[in-house]
Amino acid sequence: MKIPQKSFNMRKAFDPDKITQFQSMRESLTLQSTIKESNRCLLCFDAPCSDGCPAGTDPGKFIRQIKFYNYKGAARTIRNNNILGSVCAFVCPVEKLCEKACSIKALEDPINISGLQRFAIEYGKRFQIEPLRKSKKDQGKIAVIGCGPAGMGCASELAKMDYDVTIFEREDKAGGVPKWNIPEFRLPVEAIAYDVENLLSMGVNIRLNTSVENNEAISMLFAEGYEAIFISTGLSVAFKIDLFDNYINAVDYIAFLRTVKFDREKIDLKNKNVAVIGGGSVAIDSAVSAKACGAGKVYLISLEHLDELPADRDEIELARKMNITFKAGCQINEVVANEKTITGLKGTEVEWIEPGNFSPTNARKIEGTSFGINIDFVVQAIGTKPGYEIVRFKKSLKTKGKGIVEVSDFFETNIEGVFAGGDVVNAGSTVVQAVGEGKKAALGIDIYLKNRGKKA
Amino acid sequence: MKTQADLSIEFCGVRFENPFCLSSSPVGNHAEMCARAYDAGWSGIVYKTLGLEKSFKVVIPSPRLNALNVFDKRFIGLQNAEQITDRPIKDNIKDLVWLKKNYPQKVLISSIMGFEDKDWAELAKMSEDAGADILELNFSCPQMAHKTAGHRTGQDFHAVEAFTEIVKKSCKIPVIAKMTPNITDMIPVALAAKRGGADAISAINTIRAITDIDINNFTPLPNIHGHSSPTGFSGPSVKPVAMRFVSELYNSKAINLPVSAIGGIETWIDALHFLLLGATNLQVTTGIMRYGYRIVEDMIEGLSDYMIERNIQSLTQIIGKAAQKIVDPSEFNTRFQVVSVVDEAKCIGCGQCYISCQDGANQAMKFDKQSRKASVDEERCVGCMLCKLVCPVWDCITHKEVDTAKVRHAAIF
Repeated sequence: MKIPQKSFNMRKAFDPDKITQFQSMRESLTLQSTIKESNRCLLCFDAPCSDGCPAGTDPGKFIRQIKFYNYKGAARTIRNNNILGSVCAFVCPVEKLCEKACSIKALEDPINISGLQRFAIEYGKRFQIEPLRKSKKDQGKIAVIGCGPAGMGCASELAKMDYDVTIFEREDKAGGVPKWNIPEFRLPVEAIAYDVENLLSMGVNIRLNTSVENNEAISMLFAEGYEAIFISTGLSVAFKIDLFDNYINAVDYIAFLRTVKFDREKIDLKNKNVAVIGGGSVAIDSAVSAKACGAGKVYLISLEHLDELPADRDEIELARKMNITFKAGCQINEVVANEKTITGLKGTEVEWIEPGNFSPTNARKIEGTSFGINIDFVVQAIGTKPGYEIVRFKKSLKTKGKGIVEVSDFFETNIEGVFAGGDVVNAGSTVVQAVGEGKKAALGIDIYLKNRGKKA
Repeated sequence: MKTQADLSIEFCGVRFENPFCLSSSPVGNHAEMCARAYDAGWSGIVYKTLGLEKSFKVVIPSPRLNALNVFDKRFIGLQNAEQITDRPIKDNIKDLVWLKKNYPQKVLISSIMGFEDKDWAELAKMSEDAGADILELNFSCPQMAHKTAGHRTGQDFHAVEAFTEIVKKSCKIPVIAKMTPNITDMIPVALAAKRGGADAISAINTIRAITDIDINNFTPLPNIHGHSSPTGFSGPSVKPVAMRFVSELYNSKAINLPVSAIGGIETWIDALHFLLLGATNLQVTTGIMRYGYRIVEDMIEGLSDYMIERNIQSLTQIIGKAAQKIVDPSEFNTRFQVVSVVDEAKCIGCGQCYISCQDGANQAMKFDKQSRKASVDEERCVGCMLCKLVCPVWDCITHKEVDTAKVRHAAIF
């Protein structure tokens, strides 16, 4: 079993101290590094990096602008194309997207696109580029439910087309997953704040603390004069493992990451042993967050083996650098508890009955591999599903099971005038994917409304 | 097997162990620096230009340098507002004496600049007495803070002839006249120097230039307390201009004097270029300012290997070989044209060739968006080779010759 050794995408080795202080592990490029990096770019025709961006941020263009010292132009390109441009500059798995497509990989390392994006955004912010153009609001009212990446992507695109957009957000702050669940060492809080500020400057109305989740919601919105609705409520309910039911020191990752980010003083992990169940990005975020909170031993326990972990390579590298103990290819079978408090876990190594099918029902215990670990805190990071609001919206909203909403190529649901996008449709993907779906849905909404007008 | 070729040359009747010399500049400011240059392997030094402080007191401005940067490529050229030496003449003469005494096998060239007729005679005599093997007359410094010296002299044929004559009468050692490139045609000036008795020509001195401007205060750089001036530009950027002048000097039958080449030499290949264009002797400053005296080691080893690989016994066998290939554009044979050839296996699909051909050439490059491979429309290709020049894979695009008597070619209609 081997940790992938290939160098990962954080160009400079990051400083573990920064992570324990919850400071961004991705530093801004200096002007000198920016000039050097942008000049490595081949300025491709029909740039593959731009094709590789699900949100259409157009790195091919903004890198060219940086190279030719048009830094504000680069900032404008990013902001105009991707309302979450500054969040994406920190959290995009670029090695799977734009940088994967980079032509220069045939000759040398790909261009550090996220670094250049951070530089351009930072420059635009520091030198105060003009606010985004305000929507004239003469193209009809649209309701967006959920102010996360997909909702923001859709709203910004609609505002550009002069629609009058209102986003309904049940939380007291805008931003969705990047706001609540992405740790500060991966995403500084200013990044999401800046993106929200840009969205507001377009004249998009965000109604906070406004839950839209009753049976009549959709009909009521239409009755209030909204001509189309975009559902971007994401995945807000974490899966839990029955084994941990009723124990007070077992939580899901959504609650855990949110507490670490906003109520850190309420959680004391100092020198405690933490087990994180799961092998994806959020499991790693949870494990690293636990470590940053001062935990002693932190275990990452996953059914998947090391080379099968769904987490990105750089995330795995990050966990490794933070001394997370990987118990990959393992299953927890038994809880050791003192009344309602877990004190230990017992498990065994597992193998797949049918290779390539990473489902818990396909895992088989390997005899003679049982282990026991002392554990003070358990975080479950094994996936999420849409919140209950989806079923409450309207009984007739068609889903694919687990509440995942079914949509057409234009992101329209089975209900006329109701569109959906982001995690609630794709069952959980990247921020940049959600923004892209929101943007495409905005086009779908525009086409729908214009065609409807013609018919009438 | 031979590992060291004979790099020696004879220039102005003086033997040099190799053609590599320091040119007159801050790299040869005083004896200690020159001694280290000799130790590093340079065969000769042209000492920093001497002047007489009784005629003109030199004060060099600061900051005095600025580099030309293009995107992330730094220092592709250097601008300086340097003057001739600002040391007392007696200290410099003492240094020349010491150098000749301690390095008798090395060549010592004294560069001089007079401000009046008698200065030239006096400096020539002092240099000869101090042990200089050769004199170089500085007719070309582009930024002397003296209205009748430097490149203004070098643009005045009569002054060049007259000063050369004065020097020749004052000493017996050979005399090189150093030319300014800040002139349309160097030949008449070189001929004037020849009439005055010059034994050789050196070229080029620096080119008057402005390398940069501070866009916040509208002041060109170097910003010398709020002002600037077009001053001497040197380094790799000026090599193409220097190569042109050197080849013209070499190819001029009327001049027929040995040439010492100066201008952007940093590697043995640069050196070889100038030898091939007719230079016998080579001088370097900017490369040393950037990288130090040590670069001569690679020049010596590289040029030596080149000679051994090709069985060249003496540099005289190759001097001027490329100059002989230079003709007037009216004499080009245009019957044979070329078309580009893209090696698809090496193409990395960036499409730079396509963009350049579309917007800067003849729209002959095709680009398949699906496969991301470039290919050539031979019917449209005019064979300019812009595509090859912009391709990031240096050996991906080549060309093949087309005999236009047999095959139609886009360059001929």
